[in-house]
Amino acid sequence: MPSIHLFDARPDISLWGMSTPPTFDVDLFADEVVLDPYPVYAELRERGPVVHLPHNDVYALTRYDVIRGALADWEAFSSASIAFNPMANEALAGTSLASDPPVHTQLRATLAENLSPRALRGLKGSITAKADVLVAELVEKGSFEAIDALARAFPLEVVADLIGFTGEVRATMLRWGQAAMQVLGPTNQRTAENFPVAGELYAWCSQVTADDLAEGSVGRGIFDAEARGAIPPDTAGHIIHQYLGAGVDTTVAAIGNLVALFAHHPDQLALVRESPALVPAAFNEVLRFWAPVHAWGRRVTRDVTIEGSEIPAGAQVAILFGAGNRDPRHYENPDTFLVERNPVDHLSFGYGPHGCAGQGLARLEAHAVIEALSRRVGRLVVGPEVRVPGNTTRSIEELPVLEVFPA
Amino acid sequence: MKIVLNRPRCEGHGLCEEAAPQLMHLDDEGELVLDREEFDAADAALAHAAVRVCPVAALRIA
Repeated sequence: MPSIHLFDARPDISLWGMSTPPTFDVDLFADEVVLDPYPVYAELRERGPVVHLPHNDVYALTRYDVIRGALADWEAFSSASIAFNPMANEALAGTSLASDPPVHTQLRATLAENLSPRALRGLKGSITAKADVLVAELVEKGSFEAIDALARAFPLEVVADLIGFTGEVRATMLRWGQAAMQVLGPTNQRTAENFPVAGELYAWCSQVTADDLAEGSVGRGIFDAEARGAIPPDTAGHIIHQYLGAGVDTTVAAIGNLVALFAHHPDQLALVRESPALVPAAFNEVLRFWAPVHAWGRRVTRDVTIEGSEIPAGAQVAILFGAGNRDPRHYENPDTFLVERNPVDHLSFGYGPHGCAGQGLARLEAHAVIEALSRRVGRLVVGPEVRVPGNTTRSIEELPVLEVFPA
Repeated sequence: MKIVLNRPRCEGHGLCEEAAPQLMHLDDEGELVLDREEFDAADAALAHAAVRVCPVAALRIA
């Protein structure tokens, strides 16, 4: 595998060709960058597979092969620093997100117990039915704001039902989920503003009990598992925290993106309608084309050499999923949205031991929405989409659907 | 050549089965079954495709 020798760290490598990586003067988290990062991604990829960004004091990984290689190599690329500020990393210490094997292996298994496709395989029917009802209502209405009415409404309903949330907590899920992703950014204003909100989520998850969650829900089941000793003590709250912190905002982004992309490319929606077997391929292409997550951190545990450029031990790395997903070295014609491409190896869920734990649920939800849209909608006429800058999740804030032409 | 499964790491995402249904499948419990661990040159491309798409890197070729 090429990924193995990309990170050759033998001491003798310093005898030939090793150099400091190219640098680029940009704030990776500036408003104009996070609103449309793709020109910056292209510039960084051209400079090299690893580029030092002095403004953020990070080494950005920019090309497909090095990103996938780094995600697989947990020994050299530690998850102890997935966030770009020390406070968030400290708060995440001890979670599966921020730990490395062997500790990670146990935490991940506990999480997967309740979140893997294996655990969720009974839910496909109800999730598909929910999406269809919601999309049918919206088509009937004829005009709606797609982010609130679909991209937010649907994952919130699915996750709330799954966890067994009731009442007021349900209304705050969206706010909490957004904040949990914002605080992974660098020490900037967005991070500072969101820490108190992320703290509310953390506090709620620390004190939630089985009785707070609806009977028969997966959330209730997690507490039952803790009570009978099937999972370690005090892990149920952490698992609930991950459902909400990692799973809401990203799924909202992905579903908003798919509505916008199909509105912009009615020919691609028609292809899915003609061949419903393309639904999974279409979701892969949505995720490849617009990665929901902008930058994700790692810390190198030793000097790592990537194609001749050295990242010094202890340095902070920024993995740019969206840059890798548009790398012309890996995908032909990468800036074109083509549902038949089926880029099953896209980087938007990460890869390897830390690959998105909720990707099975995300697929259930998004496939259900794409299925319903392709079956019921011929064309969506949309107004301009509104985006607001975010540190981590790149999503659409408002997408007015002005008219629906039914299929 | 042989496909090796890291069983604890497998979560049943099923992308390998989509890539190489001739070599493996998920059973009714969602557990991965390697129908043919050993493969020959004719199936090498399939086996490599299955390993490649595993999102959690639970498969490798030995």
